[in-house]
Parts: sequence; C-alpha cells; structure tokens
Amino acid sequence: MASVGFERATKRFGDTVAVSELSLEVADGEFMVLVGPSGSGKTTVLRLLAGLEALSDGHIRIGGRLVDTVAPRERDIAMVFQDYALYPQMSVRENLAFGLRIRKLGRDEIDRRVGEAAAALGLESLLHRKPRQLSGGQRQRVALGRALVREPQVFLMDEPLSNLDAKLRAQTRAEIKALQRRVGTTTVYVTHDQVEAMTMGDRIAVMRDGVLEQVGDPDTVYEHPANTFVGGFIGSPAMSLVPFSATRTGDALELVHGEVRLHLPANGDVPRELVLGVRPEHALLWGREAGLAGPLEGRVDFVESLGRETFIGVQAAEGARFVVEAEGHVRAEVGDPVRFGIRPGRLHVFDAETERAVARL
Amino acid sequence: MISRREQALDYAILLVFSAVALYPVAGILLTALSPPGAGATFGIPESIELGNFRTAWSQGHFASYLRSSAIVAVAVVAVSSVLSIMSGYAFGLMRFRGATALFYLFLLGLMVPEEAMIVPLYFDLRDLSLTDTYWALILPQVGLSVAFGTFWMRAFFLSTPRSIVEAARIDGARAWTTLWRVLVPYGRPAILTMMVLVFMWTWNEFLLALVMVSSENLRTAPLGLAFFQGQHTSDLALLAAGAVIVAAPVVVLYVFLQRHFIRGMLTGAVKA
Repeated sequence: MASVGFERATKRFGDTVAVSELSLEVADGEFMVLVGPSGSGKTTVLRLLAGLEALSDGHIRIGGRLVDTVAPRERDIAMVFQDYALYPQMSVRENLAFGLRIRKLGRDEIDRRVGEAAAALGLESLLHRKPRQLSGGQRQRVALGRALVREPQVFLMDEPLSNLDAKLRAQTRAEIKALQRRVGTTTVYVTHDQVEAMTMGDRIAVMRDGVLEQVGDPDTVYEHPANTFVGGFIGSPAMSLVPFSATRTGDALELVHGEVRLHLPANGDVPRELVLGVRPEHALLWGREAGLAGPLEGRVDFVESLGRETFIGVQAAEGARFVVEAEGHVRAEVGDPVRFGIRPGRLHVFDAETERAVARL
Repeated sequence: MISRREQALDYAILLVFSAVALYPVAGILLTALSPPGAGATFGIPESIELGNFRTAWSQGHFASYLRSSAIVAVAVVAVSSVLSIMSGYAFGLMRFRGATALFYLFLLGLMVPEEAMIVPLYFDLRDLSLTDTYWALILPQVGLSVAFGTFWMRAFFLSTPRSIVEAARIDGARAWTTLWRVLVPYGRPAILTMMVLVFMWTWNEFLLALVMVSSENLRTAPLGLAFFQGQHTSDLALLAAGAVIVAAPVVVLYVFLQRHFIRGMLTGAVKA
C-alpha cells in the first residue's frame, strides 16, 4: 500500500490540454473517486498514474517514489478497465494468474492467491471458463480478481461498473467498497456517475475540462460545493441554479429575477449579481413546512415520480427553474400552476461572475 | 426476418453464382475421371477411371514436384508468418519515428509486380550463387509475402482492443510477451488466414520457379505441371488428373482451416 501524489501534473495532446496542473494527494489506504463529465480529463489522470500516458509536465509519486518515467509494469499498480480487458483466449484461472506468472511467482503462491481471490469474488466454479462464456457481472468480477491477486500498492479503476445494469451496479458498488476496506489498498476510481462517487469515495475529486474543481469527502462536497459547476454536478436531481440581483435593506435581502422576488434574512455580504443554488430537498410545496421563504409561483415543467418522493420542475420565470421535492406521489400535470417556498439557511450563494461559492443564506 | 419469396430469390442467386464458380472445377474433375484418351467432358463419364491419377503421378514425377513445393511453401509460410507478425505488431501498436514512411516502403512490396523484379532478381541471385537452389525460391517469396503479411497483421493489431495490450503491460508483460502470449493466441484466426493465403500464393507461384530453377528435382508442382502438359498435349484426362494432383493440397488445407479462414476474413469487419 502506498500514498499517491500528483504535483502540477499536466498532460497535453497537441494543442489540447487534457489535464492542467493537477495537484492531488491520495492517502495510504484511501478510496479516492475522480468524478466529472466526459472529457473532464479524469481517465487521463488515471492513465497518467498507470504510466499508459506520459506526463507533459509535473510529477507523480507512488509511495513517495517519483514514477514520472517508470514503466507501468514497474509501478506496482493494478488496473480494472471499463471493458474489463480480459485475455479472451485464457480461462478465468489463467487470466487471474497471468500477471503472477509474468512476475515469476512460485506455483504454490500463484495457486494460493488465485484461490483466495476466487473465493472472495465467488469465482471458484468459473475458473475453467473462458471470458466469452461469462455474463457481464462475472467478467467484471474476474477483472477485479485480476487486480486483487496482484496485491499491488494501488488499485486503479476506470468506470468498472458502467457496463452493468442498474441493479447489479448498485450491488457491485457495495462489494467493491467492502473489498477495498478489507484489503486496505489505496484506490483511485474514475466515474462519471456522481452517485457512485458519493457512495464509494472516502473523498471525491471533481474535475472539469482537465481542471480539479474541488476535493473533499462526499458530505463536504455536497454541502459546500466550491462553485456552480460542482453544485450542479453533484447531487441528483441537480441543484437548481438561478441568477438573481440582490439588494440589501438593513437586515433584509431582496433577490430579483424578472418577476420572481424573494425576501431572505441577510447574514453576511453577498455580491450584487449572484447565482442562488437550491437543492431540491430545500425547495418544498408552499404550506408543507413553516418558515419557508416565499411563496414563489410558477408552472410545472416536468414531473418525476419515484414513488417515495416526487420531483417537480417549476418554471418560475424565463431562466429561473427550480426543482421542488414533494413527499410521496403528487398529482401534477405539465403547465399546472404551483406555489412553493425555499428553506432559508440552506441556500448556496455563488458570485455570478466568478461562479465561486461566497456565502450561505 | 425475410419473406419466403425473398429467401427463394437469395438461394436462386447463390445457386447461379455457385454454378459459375464450380463449372470449370467440375469440368476438370470429371475429365480427370474419364477413360484415358477421352476429350474434355462436362457430363458424367461412362465409367469412373482412377487410373489417370496413378499414371499421371508416376509419369509426371509429381511426387518430386510436390515435395519441392512443400519444402518451399512450408519454409516461406513459416518464416514470413513470424516476420509479418513481428512487423505488424511494430507498425500496429508501437510508436516510433519514421513508422509511416517505413510502412509505405513495405506497401511498395505489394504494389510492384513480380514481373518487374524478376530479371534483376535473377542476376542478383546468380551473383550469390543461389540460382537453381531452394533459396532462390524461398527468399524472394518470403520478401513478397512479408509485404502482404505486415499489411495484414498491422490491420489485425490495430483492430485489437487497446485495453488488452494495456492490461498486459500493467500485468508486467513486455512487448515480446504481450505479442506471443496474449495477442498471437487471440489473433489465431487472422494469423491462420494469412498463412493459408501465403501458402496458396507460394504453392501456385510459377514465374519465379520457371526463371530460377533448372534442375528437375527442384521443380515445384505448377512448373512440373507445365512440363507435364508439354509432354501430354493430347491426353486431356491425364492432364486434368495432373492438375487435380497439383491443386489438391491447397484445397485440403483450406477445407481443414476454413472455419478459421472465414473468421479471419471477418476480423476487423465486424467487431467481436
């Protein structure tokens, strides 16, 4: 096991900057999730760490050792690929043992490790099969097993769950997390799915356009997004982000967006032009809770009923759409008028110009 | 799903094309089976005559010709396959300076017709005292086959999922191990197809054998057949039997490997 450190790591492909001056420390034994939309550079970061791409600038350390020019096979890492990358002509057992054979481990040691990994992942009865004879979930477990038997310093995982169906994905998510806890190997995990990031990561690193936007534990990133991008990306349904002009009168703050007017108690300074971030759980139908700010009025834009709760998209004005959460099943049709309020004290204020978080209201 | 009518039409078209392709083959086979001295025939002969093959075999020295052809073809296929796999890997999966220019140089070997090279080649090989030896047949054909083989294997390696190569690198394999222990077993259909094609072209090569060798014991089967034809211009049944003997090894090889051959032909066209 080892820590991983990126120091101003940069990767350019021609004129395109895929990763820009990334500085990030992953502690020994930590489960770090790199999350971001496609094209954000997260997979490139992983490939740089694996040694599959060469750095354009900066440094990478594994366990304190500088690995900038070290070949992948000498980095003591194991990687799980998005398409699993199993060796098609080898049986499951040979797939698991391949890396150990290359490293010239003894037959007994290979058998022991393959046996342990197969038992941990429930692969014992599949050891003689070829990858093409396995289901997607089984292949995924073989890919995990191949990383596990190596007993490397760092696990790298590149969207390993993206080819599984929703149910299997949820189950495997928990299994990977439990497995990582048990073996305690430092893990860098790449995903575009913020639910995976929130549920699996000890910490998550949010990336956009090759730039690291925020690092922190899932709660911190969710509760204190550093900017509008992180606020909008983490959380499902996404945070509503609505631009407002603010006017302060004594202790009261008036926010105006077209015909939408919102009065809130002012605590601290806010910029004159701001973006208000409202999580769906803090926007409720009017009258459901005392102390809501509002009411705000609008028309139903969409309805997503999940059974236990319903999310209602409400268009309050041009460019001002809020997602409102309601308990249970709520009957609403697109175009219906809606009155709702938002919870003071749980709102995020971002500077409209810099998009950075500046206050809570 | 296609309708019955469409299906019937498909079969009809396939039957017509099959008939066109098989007609001359059937003609040769039926002629070879007719009584000696009979003319060319496309009907069922009155009696099946296997004696033509025995006569052709002994009179035409086909045992010696087939042995020469086998030596040349096996050597060319073995050497050019190993070289093509390695160069195809280099061009397909390694990044190195001048790769594109070098690859075009290889392609030149595919484009320049053999007829254009054969005369200077003859003098070169004569200077090296290699004419009228197996080397004169093997070395030039290895050269020509590697041009095609490199082109073929490069296309195969480019079509393999990159992640498999990367997984092997991370597992600790160097290029050599990745190639021979991961990619070659994986690419067996493509490699076997290349070997069948090279075998076929080498087996059927005529001009090179005609120019380079004069000793009878070095004559390859197609060259031997030409001499045989010169001696038996009138006995079509015997000639046909000789032709069948010469063509048989390629057909047998193809029949054995056809499953791999078809899979290899499809590699790259349809993603597995």
